[in-house]
Amino acid sequence: MREAAIGPEAGGSGAAIADSFDADKRRFYRFCIWPLALILIVITLVPMIYLVAISFTPLNLTQPQTFGDFSQPIRNYQFLTEDGRFHNSLWVQAKLSLWSVGLQLLFGFLLALFLNLRSSFLETLRTVFLIPMVLPPIVVAVIWKMMYTPAISPFHWSAAALGFEIPSLIASPDWALTAIIVAEIWQGFPFTMLMVLAALQMMPEEYIEAARIDGANVWQTTLHVTLPFLKGVLLAAGLFRLIDSMKAFPLIYLLTEGGPGEVTEVTNYYSFTLAFNFSFLGYSSAITVILMAMTIVLTWAIVKIVRRGEALV
Amino acid sequence: MGAKGFTTTRRRLLKGTAATAALATAGIFAPAIVGRAKQYDGVVLNGVSTSSVYMRRVKELVPEFEAKTGMTVNYEPLSFPIHNQRVDLELSTQGSAYDFVNLTFIYSGRWIGAGWLTQLDDFINDPNLTDPNWDPGDFVEGAQKSLQDADGNTYGFAHFAGAMLTAAGRYDLIEKAGLGMPKDFDELIAVCEAVHGKDGVAAWVSDRNHHWNSIPYLMGFGGEIFKDPPNNLTPLLDSPENIEGAAFYGRLLRDYAPSGVLTFDNDVTLRTLVAGQANMRTGELAWELPMATAPESAVKDTVRFGLTPTGPAGWYPGNNSHGYAIPVGSQNKEAAWAFIQWALSKELMERIAREQGFAALCRRSIISSDWFRESLQINGDDVAGLYLEVLDRGGEEPYMRYRTVPVFPQVGDKLNKAIEKIATNQQSAEEAMRQAQAEAVQQLKLMGIELDI
Repeated sequence: MREAAIGPEAGGSGAAIADSFDADKRRFYRFCIWPLALILIVITLVPMIYLVAISFTPLNLTQPQTFGDFSQPIRNYQFLTEDGRFHNSLWVQAKLSLWSVGLQLLFGFLLALFLNLRSSFLETLRTVFLIPMVLPPIVVAVIWKMMYTPAISPFHWSAAALGFEIPSLIASPDWALTAIIVAEIWQGFPFTMLMVLAALQMMPEEYIEAARIDGANVWQTTLHVTLPFLKGVLLAAGLFRLIDSMKAFPLIYLLTEGGPGEVTEVTNYYSFTLAFNFSFLGYSSAITVILMAMTIVLTWAIVKIVRRGEALV
Repeated sequence: MGAKGFTTTRRRLLKGTAATAALATAGIFAPAIVGRAKQYDGVVLNGVSTSSVYMRRVKELVPEFEAKTGMTVNYEPLSFPIHNQRVDLELSTQGSAYDFVNLTFIYSGRWIGAGWLTQLDDFINDPNLTDPNWDPGDFVEGAQKSLQDADGNTYGFAHFAGAMLTAAGRYDLIEKAGLGMPKDFDELIAVCEAVHGKDGVAAWVSDRNHHWNSIPYLMGFGGEIFKDPPNNLTPLLDSPENIEGAAFYGRLLRDYAPSGVLTFDNDVTLRTLVAGQANMRTGELAWELPMATAPESAVKDTVRFGLTPTGPAGWYPGNNSHGYAIPVGSQNKEAAWAFIQWALSKELMERIAREQGFAALCRRSIISSDWFRESLQINGDDVAGLYLEVLDRGGEEPYMRYRTVPVFPQVGDKLNKAIEKIATNQQSAEEAMRQAQAEAVQQLKLMGIELDI
C-alpha cells in the first residue's frame, strides 16, 4: 500500500499533499510573521511618521496651541536654510565623522593585522583592546573628561613634569574637536579591529602563500592580497561606525557641551538643545528628519558599494 | 430664680461657647499639620526638587513629617539640569506624576506664564489650610519676586536664595599687593593684574554659566538683556553697553583664569577655589562659602567676602531664588501644601540652619537673627549682612526680571556662546555679540515672539 502510494499513479495525490503543505506553510508564516511585522511597524515606523508629522508643525511645549498646527508646514524647513548654527553643526558633524571613522578603520585594521600573529600574549591583548568598545558611552566620556581636565589629567601632569604647558584641549577652539575625535576613535576602533580580525582568521592561508611564492614582500601581500580580501568587511565596519559617529552625543555632552562657542556642536547635539533646552520640538524634529534622511541615504549608498565590492571579489 | 438660673445658663453658655471657639481655633490653627493627621492618612506625595544642602536635609527629615501626618512622601532631590528637564516635560503635559516640584528661577516665567503651576494665594488665605504662624511675609521680598506673576499672585515659596558676592580665597595676595576687595571694575582689573600667577594662583575663576556670571558686568556698563521684560522681549545683546561688558568679562576669563576654565562647572570651579589654585570669583554665595567652611579648604584663613564690584552704570549683583511649587495637575494639592509649609517652616529652617550652617535661606527673621549673623562672621566679614543686602537689592529694582521670562533660555544660550568665543579669541566682542543678537532674534521669531525689529 505504502509503495503504491508513492508510485507514479499516486502523483496527483502527492502534488495535492505538497500543495496542502505549501498552503499550511504560508498560513503558518502569515500567522507567525504578520503579527511580528505589525509590531515592528508600530515600533519603528509609527514614531518615525510621528516625527515627520511634528516636523511640519511649530510645536513648542510652552505654546500648547502649536500642537497639530499644520498651517505653515514647510516653515521649519525654510528656517533650516537660514540657520547658520545648523549649517555649522553639519560641517562639524562631517569633520567629526570623516576623521574619526577614517582613523578608526586605519587603527582597527593595523591592530587586527598585528593581533592576528600567532602568540598567546597577543591573544590576551585582544581582550584588553576590546574594553573601550564594551564600556557604556557615558563612562568613556567620564574617562576622557578626566584625561582632558588639566588639574587631574596624567597627560597634563606628565607634560608639566617635562616642562611643557599643554592648554586645556577641550577648552581650546583649535583642539576641542580633535580631542573629541581622539576619544571617539578610542571608543570605536575595537569594533573595526574585531571585524577585521574575524575576517583575517577566515582568510585562506593559500592566498598569502601563493603571493609569497610569487615573490611578494609583506607590504605587497598586505596591499594586494589582504586588503582586497577585507574590502567588504572594512566597508561594512565603516558603515556601522559612520552611523554611530552621527550619534556621538555623550562625549560632546560631557566634555564640551558643543563649545567653546560652536566648535564641537554636532547636529544631534544642536537638535537636543533645541528640543530639551528651548522646547522647540517642531524645529528640532525637522533637523532630526534631515539627519535621519542623511543616515538612510548613507546606508543605502554604502550597502550598494559593499555589494559592488563583493561582486568584484 | 428664673432670672438667676437664666444668668447662670447664659454664663455657662458663654463659657461653653468661648471654650468651644478656643478648641475650634486650636483645632484649626494649632498644630495644624498634626491636627489634620487623619485627613492625610494613606496619601502618597511624589515630589522632586533640585539638590541643595537644605533640600537634602529636608529629604532626610521626611520621616518626621510622615509620622506626624500619615502621608508617605516620595521625595527626590535631583541635579539641577536633570530636574529642570524632567519637570519641564512633566509640567508641559500637565501630568499628575509630581505633587510638588522645584520652581526653578530661570523657568519661573515660563512655568507660571504657561499656567502649569497652582496659584497658592487661596491656600495661604485659607485658615483651614495655613497655620497663621507660618508667616508668608517673612520670606525676603527679593527672593519671592520671581515666584510670583506680574499681578503679584504667588506660585511658590523660596527654599533657596542665591546672592552674588565676591569671594577672594587668597586675600593675603591682594593685601600683599597693597590692594583691597575690588569695589569697582577698575579695581577688579587692578587686583587681577596684581595677583595673577603669584604663588601659582590664577587671579580669577568662573563656571561656564556665563549667562549668569557675566550679567552684572553687562549691566554694570549699562546693558540690558531685553528691551522691557516681560512686556517687550526684543533682545539687546549687541548694544554698545553689552558689547563693552562682554569684552570686559571675556577678558577676565581669557587673561586671568586657569587653563580650561571654559569647561568648568560649579563643582570644578569650587574645587579650584578651595584648593587655592584660583583666587577670586563673583558668584552665588552657596558656591563660595565652602572656601571658608569645607574641612579640606586650603584658604579657610585667608578667604574674604565682599559685594560684587560696581560698574560705571551701577551695581547689579545677580540674585535668584528657587522655591517649592505645586503642579496644576497634582491630585494632592492640599497635602502638597501641607508638605511645603512643613519644609519651609521657621522651625525647620532654623533647625537646619543651626545644623548645617548657611543654607541659602530666605526667611528674614532667620537671616537677620543674631545667632545666624554670628555664625556667618568669616575672617571679619559679616557675610549674612552682605547676603541680605544683595537679596534686598533684588527686591528694590526689577533688574533680574530678564531671567524669568520664558525666552531667556534661548537668549542666554546665545550669550553663553558669545562669551566663549570672546574668551577664546574666536571673535571680537562686537562680532560675537552681533552674531548672538542675530541668532536670538531668529529663534524668537521662530517662536512667534513679537519683536521691535
